[in-house]
Amino acid sequence: MIQMIIKRDGRIVPYDREKIALAVLRAMKASGEGTVADAARVAEAVESALESRCGAEPPQIEVIQDMVEQELMHHEFTNTAKSYIIYRATRTRARESRTTLMKTIDEIASKDAKLSDLKRENGNIDGDTAMGAMLQIGAAGAKAYNEAYLLRPEHAKAQREGDIHIHDFDFYALTTTCTQIDIIRLFKDGFSTGHGFLREPQSIQSYAALAAIAIQSNQNDQHGGQSIPNFDYGMALGVAKTFRSQFRKKLTDVVADHLDDDEVEAQVAKAIEMTEVSFGQNALEPAEGFDGALTRHLYEVLGIESDVAAHLVARARRRAETQTERDTYQAMEGFVHNLNTMHSRAGAQTPFSSINYGTDTTPEGRMVIRNVLLALDAGLGHGETCIFPIHIFKVKEGVNYNEGDPNYDLFRLSCKVSAKRLFPNYVFLDSPYNLKYYVPGRPETEVATMGCRTRVLGNVYDPTQEISYSRGNLSFTSINLPRLALESKGDEALFLKKLDDMLELVAQQLLDRFEIQAKKRVYNYPFLMGQGVWLDSDKLGPYDEVREVLKHGTLSIGFIGLAETLTALYGKNHAEDPAMQEKGLEIIGRMRKFCDDKSQEMKMNFTLLATPAEGLSGRFTRLDRQRYGRIPGVTDREYYTNSFHVPVWYPIGAYEKIHIEAPYHALCNAGHISYVELDGDTAKNVEAFEQIVRCMHDEGIGYGSINHPVDRDPICGYVGVIGDTCPRCGRREGEAISEERMQELIKKFPQIKAFVGIE
Amino acid sequence: MTVESKQNKLGAGVGFERIRRITGYLVGTMDKWNDAKKAEERDRVKHSIAK
Repeated sequence: MIQMIIKRDGRIVPYDREKIALAVLRAMKASGEGTVADAARVAEAVESALESRCGAEPPQIEVIQDMVEQELMHHEFTNTAKSYIIYRATRTRARESRTTLMKTIDEIASKDAKLSDLKRENGNIDGDTAMGAMLQIGAAGAKAYNEAYLLRPEHAKAQREGDIHIHDFDFYALTTTCTQIDIIRLFKDGFSTGHGFLREPQSIQSYAALAAIAIQSNQNDQHGGQSIPNFDYGMALGVAKTFRSQFRKKLTDVVADHLDDDEVEAQVAKAIEMTEVSFGQNALEPAEGFDGALTRHLYEVLGIESDVAAHLVARARRRAETQTERDTYQAMEGFVHNLNTMHSRAGAQTPFSSINYGTDTTPEGRMVIRNVLLALDAGLGHGETCIFPIHIFKVKEGVNYNEGDPNYDLFRLSCKVSAKRLFPNYVFLDSPYNLKYYVPGRPETEVATMGCRTRVLGNVYDPTQEISYSRGNLSFTSINLPRLALESKGDEALFLKKLDDMLELVAQQLLDRFEIQAKKRVYNYPFLMGQGVWLDSDKLGPYDEVREVLKHGTLSIGFIGLAETLTALYGKNHAEDPAMQEKGLEIIGRMRKFCDDKSQEMKMNFTLLATPAEGLSGRFTRLDRQRYGRIPGVTDREYYTNSFHVPVWYPIGAYEKIHIEAPYHALCNAGHISYVELDGDTAKNVEAFEQIVRCMHDEGIGYGSINHPVDRDPICGYVGVIGDTCPRCGRREGEAISEERMQELIKKFPQIKAFVGIE
Repeated sequence: MTVESKQNKLGAGVGFERIRRITGYLVGTMDKWNDAKKAEERDRVKHSIAK
């Protein structure tokens, strides 16, 4: 007779057969077979099995559960046995994750980030601060819950064992990734941040300030970055407003001086108004005849002789232009400073922000582009390189690419700035897969990127809206390609079969997550949906489900380590052998075809992503090395190569690298980026820099950037390449200079305000 | 000002900032990079622009 049982934590408690019957009944209900009487029968059988096995000894809970499984099978409740086994496994997983969770939280709470790789998984979060650590603890808790309760067992297994990586897994149950915020639409008639209503801005300063606020507000509704696809077009409206009001002010001033009368404001305003009625709004380049007409109206209203009036108008125009230029610079400087200092997500992060520009050819748009580049060039208060926003220059033939194009000068300026500050990056509108969406005069059809690389343009769900504005990625999951290759042991057919299976698995997982996201309502995304930032969300009420409008977004399947995959399968990577390039394109092309087919099947946007490899490159490799050992060219480094890239360690020329990587850009429609690494001296050579950007354009790269070392000595303020010693003050890393030397430096470089130190 | 911060002002214990691109975005110094990315950065070779 069983009297007591031993629980998992070691406590001994009285035995109760009813509890077994209840658990069995629950499992029976879940599988839709059996009755209360059946459950009692199984419980009885379990009891006698326990008695014969344990005698008078109290049995362990695990033994009892084993018996339940066994007796369910004996009584031919096969489905119930299955669901009971799954239930047990899920509970075990939940228990294990609780233990792991506590260990993880312990590490976050007590270890310094320097010693904890876990705390540096995302380079933008400072795990040493209170808010940063709190964010990491929350993320750890959410991950444990999501894995135990939300994932199907096969998805949880794939995620846990490193077959796949579900990105931003901590936010799995909560939100979507990112959006391209159309600031023109957002600003029209003002918007609300949830903490207050902001009127439609009236000057370039407030346009820029509100753009930063928009990024910050939307960032709190999503887990990824925020981007403005039309920074130049949007800010140009603010420039136009500033110019108009400055012109009125300056003209009032010069007329007041001329007439020696301070009460002319109303008359000047009237003259301008009369002119605008027939010639349209005053602008940096007004309609032809505008100034002549204004001159005449000044005579009619104030009796100023026409030759004098013409002078006054010209002077006012000149001064207003200068003032507007100055205001625009300050607004851009403020914007950049704002985005580098403002906090979001409980203060732990600077918002991930990106701005796209380069194609607005109006004088106002050009003023924006020029000044935001100059502000980027100047750097922060002590000349530091700005980390945010990511600047993305849109390159387009006929607009800014060739000599004679209206914005060619700005393209050249962008090269000069990027050669110093690493930004802007370049997105290429002429690449065929971008050009096919491009409609002149409709900037929303221009490709724009979320700075890290995300690209959203085609739209299977709604082919009438193939635009980049007001859309973004919903979620993405990456496949560990080298793992599939290692498992296939050189068998190509087996590899492709495994790849197809894995693609199916990931597509299903993305759909599962979509289901969670789609059930949210507008009030769950107060800014993104509540303020109509997301496409068609303005047609929804606060309690509506967001399902349908979310379908404008993308579900993306990513991959990492094509180079290692090819090496594992065939012994060489795609940079080493042209035949391998063909194989590489076949593999990635197959993945793209899967996404296209899935899109058609579901009428949703499945896209293929060249995954950025920050958080997962080390994890996959570590797990694979444990399993397969150290394999040269595959697992012998600490990381897998980013997406389709030529490995960073592989010696290759810049042009050849671009040539090899460009065809993959066409295939990876969810986003892609290629880098070229230059040494410091080459980067200073703006001609060489521009040649590389041109090569990217001509080869059909979609998005690219050029890396070069940007170092800074916080002691003397030197910015440039620093080897072992600082070229300006001569100190080595960590070394002090003498006080006399510091005095000399202060005299020699008065612009260095104070010791900046390490932040 | 403490003796220590005075020393810091002159550079004792103060490193150089090395700004690098991680995955499209920049990170102010490499202190916050994870180990695999640090290894990746260390391995990067420069690309020659000779045609």
